[in-house]
Amino acid sequence: MPRETFQQELDRLLGEVVDLGREVESCLGTMSEALETHDAEVASGEIGVDAHYKERGAEIDEECIILQARQAPVARDLRLIYTVQAVTNHLVRAGTLCEHICQAIAETADAQRDPDLEAALLEMSRGARDLFRQGLDIFAARDIDRAHGLEAADDRVDLLYSEAMNLAVNPGKDGSGSPEWRVQAALTVHYLERIADHGVDIGERTVFLVTGERMESAMRQYRDRQLDQYDD
Amino acid sequence: MSDISEQKPRTGEDGGGSSKEPAALGMKIEDLSAFYGSFKALTDVSMDIRANKVTALIGPSGCGKSTFIRCLNRMHEIIPGALAKGCVKLGDQDIYAKNVDPVRIRRRIGMVFQKPNPFSKSIYENVAWGARINGYKGDMVELVERSLRRAALWDEVKDRLKESGLGLSGGQQQRLCIARTLAVEPEVILMDEPASALDPVSTQKIEDTMEELRQRYTVVIVTHNMQQAARISDYTGFFYIENMGDPGRLWEFDETSKMFSAPDRKETEDYVTGRFG
Repeated sequence: MPRETFQQELDRLLGEVVDLGREVESCLGTMSEALETHDAEVASGEIGVDAHYKERGAEIDEECIILQARQAPVARDLRLIYTVQAVTNHLVRAGTLCEHICQAIAETADAQRDPDLEAALLEMSRGARDLFRQGLDIFAARDIDRAHGLEAADDRVDLLYSEAMNLAVNPGKDGSGSPEWRVQAALTVHYLERIADHGVDIGERTVFLVTGERMESAMRQYRDRQLDQYDD
Repeated sequence: MSDISEQKPRTGEDGGGSSKEPAALGMKIEDLSAFYGSFKALTDVSMDIRANKVTALIGPSGCGKSTFIRCLNRMHEIIPGALAKGCVKLGDQDIYAKNVDPVRIRRRIGMVFQKPNPFSKSIYENVAWGARINGYKGDMVELVERSLRRAALWDEVKDRLKESGLGLSGGQQQRLCIARTLAVEPEVILMDEPASALDPVSTQKIEDTMEELRQRYTVVIVTHNMQQAARISDYTGFFYIENMGDPGRLWEFDETSKMFSAPDRKETEDYVTGRFG
């Protein structure tokens, strides 16, 4: 096939992005575990990963710029490089948020907690991690059939976000949970919601990569197709 | 149907030398097929070429792009045994109607070729000659200057208009040919790989003239340079031969931004990304 070297460079670039994504996914797993077990040591182990993610992100970005300058990509090659840059940004930012949460876990490991809010936090953590993994899997396999499920999953995380925020600002009568923990919990709720959004965005970027269409348009077509099927 | 040039009186045609220029017209092609003897080189091409837009035609060698463009001003039939079937309209006029004069068509739809082919005459005469034999009686000096300016050549040759056109560089010769085409005040300009024989700087100068040309003319350009098509055109048509020996077809036609970002057909995407073959 012509442009074999270019294709190899694109494949390598894609592999690097997925590898970075798996690193962030692993960090999210560790964070979830530490959140559940209140393990400051495990959480502390992830402090500093942000700098590494940012460095890898900058390297991938540079590779994209060089490829654009040297290869003048168009069509699917251009969409791939554009998507790689966007997805890398989502990965790095999700990684940064994950480190923030680990920092919060480490700082409040011994603090008094609100069991209801903590339960909501843990559920959100699982939802956000799942969404991030789904988005990354969709990107890695370019499996856009799965992308239409992202919005519904994100709605569930958004609902948990509202519930958790409500608990954070309206403590029970017993006033359980130290103020310090409650503030960190509120921030963590916000970070988790953002991580879930990054997962959704990664999946939606993949729809653009594969079809050239924005997710909104693709989703509209998908919904229309569903309605047509019911009409039949 | 009467001769189309009689239906639409134009500047210069009657020798009046009016400064009023004709508005650019679009072209509409319906079910066009082209033959070389019994060999069908192109089949069933339908395309709307918008006025005051640059339309690029791309595709692998031998897919019928040049044949197609030569059908647009009746140059194809110059080749013995060559024949075009179908409908080609300039504005509302069928250029293949019986009593249409192909010579007049070729003046209204000018052509610039791959290899610069200036006459063995002075720079001035290269530009003035076509207008003069068409009976232009206006201010010829003004026409020559205007045409050279629009072809982005004036500043480089204004002090040596009496020198031979053959003494110019390849890129300048090509712009001289563009000026020569403009001097007979066409509505459409066809360009068959106009920069493929030029160095990058000369190519850039030709591309730079496109924006100026687009303001006043309808431009159709055949190019093998994909980035050139992406840079200069508003619409792009991809010609393709599905199986060896088949006639060429217009495989996909759309806005250039779409063709180079997310074309509908796999073959188009394979071609523009260089994955062909």
